[in-house]
Amino acid sequence: MRGEALFGYAMILPALLIVMLFTAGPILASIGLSLYQWDVISPPSFAGLSNYEQLAADQTVLHSFVVTFGLAISIVVLEIAIGLGLALLVQQRRSNLARGTFRTIFYLPLLASASSVAIVMGYIFDQKFGVLNYYLGLLGIPNIPWLTSDLGATTTIVIIAVWQQLGFAFVLFIAALSSVPKDVLEAAQIDGASPVRTFFAVKLPMISPTVLFVSVVGMIGAMQLFDQPYVMTKGGPGYTTTTTVLLIYQTAFQNLQFGYGSAISVVLLLALIALTAMQFLGARKLVFYQ
Amino acid sequence: MRLVSGSGGLSRRTLLKAGSAAAGMGALGVLGGLARPALASSVAATITFAYFGDPKQATSMRESLLPLVKKVDQNADLKVVGYNGTDWNDFFAKILTQIAAGAPPDIVGVATEGVQLMAGKDLAIPLDDYVKRDIAELKEMFDDVDPILIEGLMYDGHLFEMPVNFNAGNMFYSTKLFKQAGLDRPADNWTMDDFHGYAKKIAALPDVNAFDWIVRLWGSWTSFMYANGGNLLEEQRFDGGSWLWDAAYPGNAAVKSRKGGWKWGAPTANSAPTVEALQLMIDLRKEGLAPSPDVGGGGTLQGLFASNRIGMTIGGGFWAGGLHNAGMTPNSFDVQYFPKWKEQKHLFGVVGNAILKSSKNQDLAWEVVKQLSAADAFDLQFPGNATTPVRRSLMTPERYKTTGPEHWNVFYDTLTKFENTTPIPAPPYYNALANALNRRTTEAIASGDAKAALDGLQKDLEAAAKV
Amino acid sequence: MRAKTFPARIGRTLGLVALVVAAIVALAPLVWTLSTSLRTPAEAFTNPPAWIPLKPEWSNYGAVFEQIPLFSFFVNSVIVTGLIVAGQTITCMMSGYAFAMIRFPGRGKIFMLFLATMMVPLQATMIPVFVLIKWMGLANSLGALIVPALGGAFGTFLMRQYFMQMPRELGEAARIDGASPLQVFWFVYARMAVPPAAALATLNFSGFWSEFYRPLIFLSDQSTYTLPLGLVGLQGNLGTGSISVVLAGVVVALVPSVLLFAFAQRYFIEGITTGSFR
Repeated sequence: MRGEALFGYAMILPALLIVMLFTAGPILASIGLSLYQWDVISPPSFAGLSNYEQLAADQTVLHSFVVTFGLAISIVVLEIAIGLGLALLVQQRRSNLARGTFRTIFYLPLLASASSVAIVMGYIFDQKFGVLNYYLGLLGIPNIPWLTSDLGATTTIVIIAVWQQLGFAFVLFIAALSSVPKDVLEAAQIDGASPVRTFFAVKLPMISPTVLFVSVVGMIGAMQLFDQPYVMTKGGPGYTTTTTVLLIYQTAFQNLQFGYGSAISVVLLLALIALTAMQFLGARKLVFYQ
Repeated sequence: MRLVSGSGGLSRRTLLKAGSAAAGMGALGVLGGLARPALASSVAATITFAYFGDPKQATSMRESLLPLVKKVDQNADLKVVGYNGTDWNDFFAKILTQIAAGAPPDIVGVATEGVQLMAGKDLAIPLDDYVKRDIAELKEMFDDVDPILIEGLMYDGHLFEMPVNFNAGNMFYSTKLFKQAGLDRPADNWTMDDFHGYAKKIAALPDVNAFDWIVRLWGSWTSFMYANGGNLLEEQRFDGGSWLWDAAYPGNAAVKSRKGGWKWGAPTANSAPTVEALQLMIDLRKEGLAPSPDVGGGGTLQGLFASNRIGMTIGGGFWAGGLHNAGMTPNSFDVQYFPKWKEQKHLFGVVGNAILKSSKNQDLAWEVVKQLSAADAFDLQFPGNATTPVRRSLMTPERYKTTGPEHWNVFYDTLTKFENTTPIPAPPYYNALANALNRRTTEAIASGDAKAALDGLQKDLEAAAKV
Repeated sequence: MRAKTFPARIGRTLGLVALVVAAIVALAPLVWTLSTSLRTPAEAFTNPPAWIPLKPEWSNYGAVFEQIPLFSFFVNSVIVTGLIVAGQTITCMMSGYAFAMIRFPGRGKIFMLFLATMMVPLQATMIPVFVLIKWMGLANSLGALIVPALGGAFGTFLMRQYFMQMPRELGEAARIDGASPLQVFWFVYARMAVPPAAALATLNFSGFWSEFYRPLIFLSDQSTYTLPLGLVGLQGNLGTGSISVVLAGVVVALVPSVLLFAFAQRYFIEGITTGSFR
């Protein structure tokens, strides 16, 4: 089996090299930095674990984790549910043109950069003059303070994040559904299974590795939410939309406490490792590989 | 299923190997080519000037500044880089990264928001000696610039920047909406009560915000804070600076009150006048005279104003160009001094160019910095009235003919007509202050409780001041 | 499978309705962007919005090209995104396959390491990466964006998941027939990986095309700017740019990628999957 092992190493080498050099290395540097006080301008000074002590007592940081986690769960669950639902509906269409058109449409929001989306949404969600409240007003709903109330701000962030990220889950589920072997589906049909049953008994298990993937990656991404709060709410009102990464950015680059910011990143890293491990453990029971 | 490729000729495997080798070489070549700009060796000095503004101006600026650089040092080169962004935060983050990575620019254009950071953290050098040395040449500029703008760029009695532009917080209003509401131009010394009355009349018009504002340090409710005699931090002044006043403004009575720069002391965020000011903003909203403020950049505010949805708002000279870009005709808007509450006190911010301590070509950089403050350099850097010039001589009717407003004189007169005009409170820990201010302001608007939010802000500022 | 029964037909119609509603939600902000870009800034807030403007202001688009060197931004974006997508497709297909199908010591641990690298935000590692790039001489060049992105944990993870969905018997049978591991990869599994590889390429394309943060920090020469970064220039200093022109810029940035995707997607998304599992 030596040849096989060598082959394996050779295959992972390019990706491994890049990832180690440009990601793992800097992460280690960042972990190292968490043990220092650094204002980015003067040389760093060793601080031991004091950053972590400070962190444990810092309500702002702890609150940001709560906020981030809440937003992330909402976004990922919606992304998977809606993304999968739309993928199923689109694959159902018989005409190639219909399938192609819908696929392009749902992929579109992904192409716009987060800052462009934030600008556009800032106008659309404006409380008094935005288009959204105008149409809701026609339905008799009073002006919703989308970005200037606690609940409104978090809801708006979730809506916009899901809107933009939907294409991600959607595209992956399309590919997964396309890979389900036709013979298995035909067998189910011959057996007289209803569409619902076919979904739960055949399709879902077969695409479960993709569901796991979307869930893990979606979670990792959503836990690092930065663009929308940065552009649209700057973390407000108060601290209700201050995600952890926004806090890290502000701590490091604006408060010039890079060591402390790195310490927060380390804690975030640990939290994500834990979350991912939980998802993989859950996957053991639910995900089927060939 | 036969998987092994047929015999004879080039096997797929060989092709694959050859192909990837070629691709590899090609890729390296492309990358090498792409990396070339940085790998080019530069034995001669290169001055890099970074500013916050339109990158398009960079090329024309370089063209006009390069001969000057060459005059001082034949072999020197000049690089001009403009960074755009919605606020100074992005710009600072960029500069900081470059500094941290050991690739800092030589000259940086910095506003009041960052002056004390640069000075206090020893990032920029004091320009005292250079100014003293070249005072004859610089006299012309000092004559043309109001001394308060100079003091705004001082810290601890030393001058850290040469000024280029500024913006004071005045009240912009829509002439169209005023007319519809039957309102005349307010008097120069109009009061907060007058303002309130005006707002009520405009609010009666359909689908309009009488007053609107955004959450940030400049403008925003800080203007109301100032007018009420409050502030976020204790206002003190550094001693010193007489070296400058005596040399640059000899015999000029206007500099009697000038000292060594603003020294921001202990936080006063929850002092009575400050709380009262924030409460006013909350009340304005409750009365339907103002909406919940935006947190983003000024883009939405400008768009709303330009579509005649806002009666009055706080703006500076930069709005002359901004509103023009948004399609407003010169007489569809105008500007007036900020109304008087307990005092008629205005805020302002000033932008200048600093030389970084890490620069290896400080003498050369100084030549460039001087030139950037020249009269003809202003429109090169900031075309279209995107901001207000520090030079009195540039404030002419011609300048504001295309863009408006009619009473453009208000911009500069704010500095001279009132004794109490003060820069925005931007201590060395400005960034932490700005973040905390934004947060607590939105918190107050959402909760309706100014005192509680400002108690929180007081704590934030005390913590930030300690670091 | 024809929907012969009545409830099945209703199900299909409801499905279509749901799709159309979702499509409207997905498109509405983009259509608003397009229509507002064709109006003057003063009209940006009129409600109800004129979804189809009666007097389109094409000058806004002219202004976009006038105010920023759009073409050079576009070219830079194409180079950067193209090379990254090509590079990642290759490296991630290789590594994803190995993690899924090949046994080698430390496989599990190395894979976990890959995953972990996705969990630290860019903001935290930015400065060390910048130092590294500068040391490699790539600073302020397109290479600064391309090289660190030629391999990716995300892409590797994705390909691994899809490879794990594929039947191992085929590969094992080939090995018994005497094929080398490389041949097994290339002749058996590579073509089955076309749909996920296409999905990865698609996602990478949109992700890197619209990337803003890394270009913001790593590039300082305007001639190297990519599209999203260059477009910020339209916002003007302190937000003084015209909203209509800003939105026109957003539209211009979207159009090429939309066309590319619309054209190419039917060639690779559905893939050549029929019959590949027999």
